[in-house]
Amino acid sequence: MNTRNHVRRYRNVILLIAIVMSISSHIMASILVAPTVVFLSDKARTQRMTIQNPTDGPVEVSIYFSFGIPESDSLGNISVELKDDNVTDPRSALGWIKAFPRKVVVPAQQSQIIRLVARPPENLPDGEYWARIVFSSQSAQTELPPPTEDGAITTKLNMIMRTAIQVKYRTGDLVANLELNQTGVTHEGNKVHVLLDMTNRGNVSYMGVLTCRLLDSDGEEILKNRSNIAIYRDLKRRIDFTLPEGSKLPYKVDVEISPDGRTDVPVTDMIKGNKIKTVAIVETQ
Amino acid sequence: MYIGKQSHIQRRAIILLVVLLLLAVAPPTEAQEVAIGTATATVLSAVTVTATAALAFGNVYQGVTASIANNNASAAIFTISGQANAGVTLYFQLPEYLTLTTGGDRMNISFSATDASIDTTGANNPATMAGTKGWQDTDPRGLPSTATIGSAGTSVYLGGKVYPSAFQQAGSYSADIILTVSYNGT
Repeated sequence: MNTRNHVRRYRNVILLIAIVMSISSHIMASILVAPTVVFLSDKARTQRMTIQNPTDGPVEVSIYFSFGIPESDSLGNISVELKDDNVTDPRSALGWIKAFPRKVVVPAQQSQIIRLVARPPENLPDGEYWARIVFSSQSAQTELPPPTEDGAITTKLNMIMRTAIQVKYRTGDLVANLELNQTGVTHEGNKVHVLLDMTNRGNVSYMGVLTCRLLDSDGEEILKNRSNIAIYRDLKRRIDFTLPEGSKLPYKVDVEISPDGRTDVPVTDMIKGNKIKTVAIVETQ
Repeated sequence: MYIGKQSHIQRRAIILLVVLLLLAVAPPTEAQEVAIGTATATVLSAVTVTATAALAFGNVYQGVTASIANNNASAAIFTISGQANAGVTLYFQLPEYLTLTTGGDRMNISFSATDASIDTTGANNPATMAGTKGWQDTDPRGLPSTATIGSAGTSVYLGGKVYPSAFQQAGSYSADIILTVSYNGT
């Protein structure tokens, strides 16, 4: 009985190892970047980031800077468009924040420290300045597979990953202040769309947590959405709810925007802004 | 046997004596340093992007187009993991052709408006993709702006089509598929 248990246990262990090996060999390349937002200031002009290669093969990483902040269209779709040159934004830190090294091969299961240095122009007005540090990575092993038949054609598509991390340089007196211009809520079929129109009135990006609660006429919560937001200038933000089958009719939406509750940003790096609360009635179409 | 055991006891006694002597002459401050030692750790938020599988057409033949659907086992898979529910902008840069590595020829490749899917369950399995798991059969050149990182990660699946001509030169062809990931909420 014991022998049979041992055999079964070893068989399971071997099976597990085989599964893990098959998964890890399947992965071509991977790159971990930390942190997800970097802060520099007139008091701390240097900073460090970590990149890590969690796979079993080397990864080649190139590092450069772009400019891109979250922007929205009239429907509240948010995107970050990265620009490498011809950036005229007065809040751009492109060109005066540097990273070292700029090219590195990270061996399997190893980490690499990347150092950032800010050399801002003199007499920079108070506020926050932005750039995105981009980590472009791919497997360092890029041999092409030879065709398996004479006269055949074979293909290889190199999978390149780019991770763009926001870098913020702060100087002087800093103010975070957000204004909610308008809240619209529409209900169509089993969908409820919330559209928030916001404007940043401060001189730093407003970072906070947006909580939307969809309530019925008795004040009972039907659905809830909680997300991190960053508003740099004007931003329209859409939140979509899909009503579950048999749910009560939605009546109103409670909206709260708060600088509290961010777990991805150290408290010491938060420039705490105002808190906004509002209620909007659902308009059924 | 008896002699061996005796020498073993003697050796242990000598080692014990040396240890006691070392303890006696060691400055007391070292013991204090050990006692007041502290460990610090900084927790950083992180994002991981993984090229889990390449878009693999295998061998293709002159004059025969080859296509791979985004729910096929040979579809490309990118995986993004990080803070759950964080909003991300995903942006593909896709090639229009593959180049013969020895030069001299190229082969067209296309991506249709339904060639991508975003699976917020992080399943990393194109075959199990369903509309309830995120965005199915969406445009790789205009990925949804409300994409988020799922609690187990988010997988992006990509299919495509290659067009070897009737006179396509045999050999190995390559091109780059680039996925850019940017956080919206930082």
